[in-house]
Amino acid sequence: MNGRSSSGRLRTLSVAAAILGLVVAACGSGPAASSAASSAAASTVAASSSTAAGSAGASGGASASTAASPAASPSAAGYQGPPVTIEYAIWGDPQEITNQKKIVDAFHAKNPAITVNVTVADWDAYWDKLQTGLAGGAAPDVFAMDGPLFPDYQTRDVLLDLRPYIERDGYDLSQLAEQGVKDFTTPDGGQYGLPRDLNVIALYYNKKMFDAAGVAYPDDTWDWQKLVDTAKKLTKDTNKDGKPDQWGFYTETTDMENFWLSLVWENGGDVLGTDGKTTALGSPEAAGGIQFLQDLIYKDKVMADPAIFAETGDAFEQGKAAMEANGSWLVPTHTAAGIDFGVAPLPKGPTGRFTSVNPTGAVIAKSTKAPDAAWEFVKYLTGPDAQQQLMQLHQALPVAKTVLDGPFATAYPGADVFASALQYARLKPSFKGYNEFTTVLQGELDENVFNAPKKTAKEALGEIAPQLDALLAAG
Amino acid sequence: MTRAALPAVDRPARRIVRVGRVGLGRRPSGPLAGEERWAWLFLAPTLLGLAVLSAGPILAAFAIALTKWDLLTAPAFVGLDNFTALLRDAHFATALRNTSFYTVTSVPLGLVLGLGLALALNERVRGMTWIRTAYFLPVVTSTTAIALVWLWIYSPQGGLLNQGLTAIGLPPQRWIADPFWAMPAIVVMSVWQGLGITVIVFLAGLQGIPTEYYDAAAVDGAGRWARFRNVTLPLLTPSVFFTGILALISSFQVFDQVYVLARPGKPTDATATLVYFIYENGFKNFKMGYAAAASWILFLIVAVLTAIYFRSQRRWVHYQ
Repeated sequence: MNGRSSSGRLRTLSVAAAILGLVVAACGSGPAASSAASSAAASTVAASSSTAAGSAGASGGASASTAASPAASPSAAGYQGPPVTIEYAIWGDPQEITNQKKIVDAFHAKNPAITVNVTVADWDAYWDKLQTGLAGGAAPDVFAMDGPLFPDYQTRDVLLDLRPYIERDGYDLSQLAEQGVKDFTTPDGGQYGLPRDLNVIALYYNKKMFDAAGVAYPDDTWDWQKLVDTAKKLTKDTNKDGKPDQWGFYTETTDMENFWLSLVWENGGDVLGTDGKTTALGSPEAAGGIQFLQDLIYKDKVMADPAIFAETGDAFEQGKAAMEANGSWLVPTHTAAGIDFGVAPLPKGPTGRFTSVNPTGAVIAKSTKAPDAAWEFVKYLTGPDAQQQLMQLHQALPVAKTVLDGPFATAYPGADVFASALQYARLKPSFKGYNEFTTVLQGELDENVFNAPKKTAKEALGEIAPQLDALLAAG
Repeated sequence: MTRAALPAVDRPARRIVRVGRVGLGRRPSGPLAGEERWAWLFLAPTLLGLAVLSAGPILAAFAIALTKWDLLTAPAFVGLDNFTALLRDAHFATALRNTSFYTVTSVPLGLVLGLGLALALNERVRGMTWIRTAYFLPVVTSTTAIALVWLWIYSPQGGLLNQGLTAIGLPPQRWIADPFWAMPAIVVMSVWQGLGITVIVFLAGLQGIPTEYYDAAAVDGAGRWARFRNVTLPLLTPSVFFTGILALISSFQVFDQVYVLARPGKPTDATATLVYFIYENGFKNFKMGYAAAASWILFLIVAVLTAIYFRSQRRWVHYQ
């Protein structure tokens, strides 16, 4: 599950529709036919890229479509094929959707031959629709991809390798944030998508609460102990009913991305072992990181038991917590809530400072009938114009370095903290079978560690690690 | 109405039932030649729909259940591996247990409450039409909307239910967030939501009972309870049977209530049901073959229970 306020997400789903899609998928000759078509397209591209290699400066001129229709001029840059309509599928909230549509309109103005239809769904329905669409041969041409789920799609051969297009156009990958690019790279050198935007984790703090308590704002000198000490000072029971009505700290416990992944790294642990085939969560280092979060709730008592805010949502947003470790996507939420907040780096742990970065990518379906138009659009999404537009939302970090290191840093107070967090950020784990792995893991942690202290982190992880290893072994 | 038209009038109420049974046995002789053709014609749309939209997918699901299939790459035949793996899967056992709990609690609770409400609503009171409409409203409201309101009722932080508990001096609970209370909380919401259907069917059943039977029972000196026990209840058994079977089948398919209500974020071991298990495996874990096998086990459970239920009607369902 994605880190974005999973608890508050309004979910609707029609199982009937999904199963109908499955039936259609079973009946159609979808996958076989489409993979044949796309491999034909890929070979055309390979042919045209070899000719383009000789003529320097003719970047982006050749395409599968021009190969098919030699009348088109190869000299001008950009898409040269016949008018085409492609589908771009995304998940997101209404603001994100409006913003993405603006990007699409600007793209169409520059590339009148390409019309992009944006289709939207909420997080859960998005993946259901995508899978049935891919299976039934009705996949969108370009679609958003969550970093951790990428291997589940890439290994099933439904994504187009962009490497031939990158080489053909001389597209410079180093213009994008490295971590973002890396998340969509395969060990054999394939590049099956480009990052569209990035999310990192930092520490939000409520300036009013800090001022009222006369406590200095968090900064880059903070460590775990300082976090606990300060949070204690900011946890207050003003109406004396025995329960705090202002908490020192808040975070979401239901996904590793929100906080506990960074804690595991800051304590020298990791989710997967170096071989990528077994989990490293059974180690004392990993347990120590998760234990720190359990202690914030039940030992230090500076954070409310997660059930308290499970229905009403973010405690920081409601002005009921002085600090929150969470993602860059919450900036518009906290701003809309009228919170006067600042952003600081996550406090240092025993083995240093780490945070999590998770890219959302733009990928192309291997089955697309318009790979050139799709590629042109994906390139545009990572370009300065689209990235500037994306930045306006203050919702995610741009991936284009010119924007990330340029205008973004001053886009809003604290943006520079998110941008510089990339220097000590590690990629959120991404591997085949990610969903099942995290469902089993998070189920154990939620029930026995975070929602109730039935087990210590060490006990819970020790029990669950063999199950997780079995899942990884089964692939 | 003359007494001659009411053969049961001078017998004890209990015997009316027997009369009804005799009526059941007195089937009309077979349809006339022309009628049979018309019958098939009228049945055709439903039969066609069942064959294409139900029988087809059920058989296709069985074929898928024999494969390892991730939806995106070619399926591989694995025989009964999925079924044997399911029997060893602790999460499947949990889902089965949660679903059984839901069925065993929600079905009887829904029937008893529905019957009580129907009896109350059957009285001739001013404004009854509005009250009946109100009870039916949840049935036609989206489960998501209902669940969001109930989330607020169940909220551990100032939710309506906890406010009520605190007011009468009881400790507040965490409801949905508490593995112990989560499933009962979902059952209560579902029963409330489904009450409208049960009530409407029971009301129709109640109004279909000829008043003559009550008159006769009254003449025989039957009190309020005796009339209920010996006239109302036996003659309402077809309605009970009908709503019971609907409730039984739909309870095994419970999904959306759990999907929207469950916390944190999604159903856990405390609340995952069979259909959620199927959905999670098929669409989230790329195990469509495994999910199809689980759906077949669900299908068999429902089929067997329905068959047993149908056979049982001879012993307790009385048609007039």
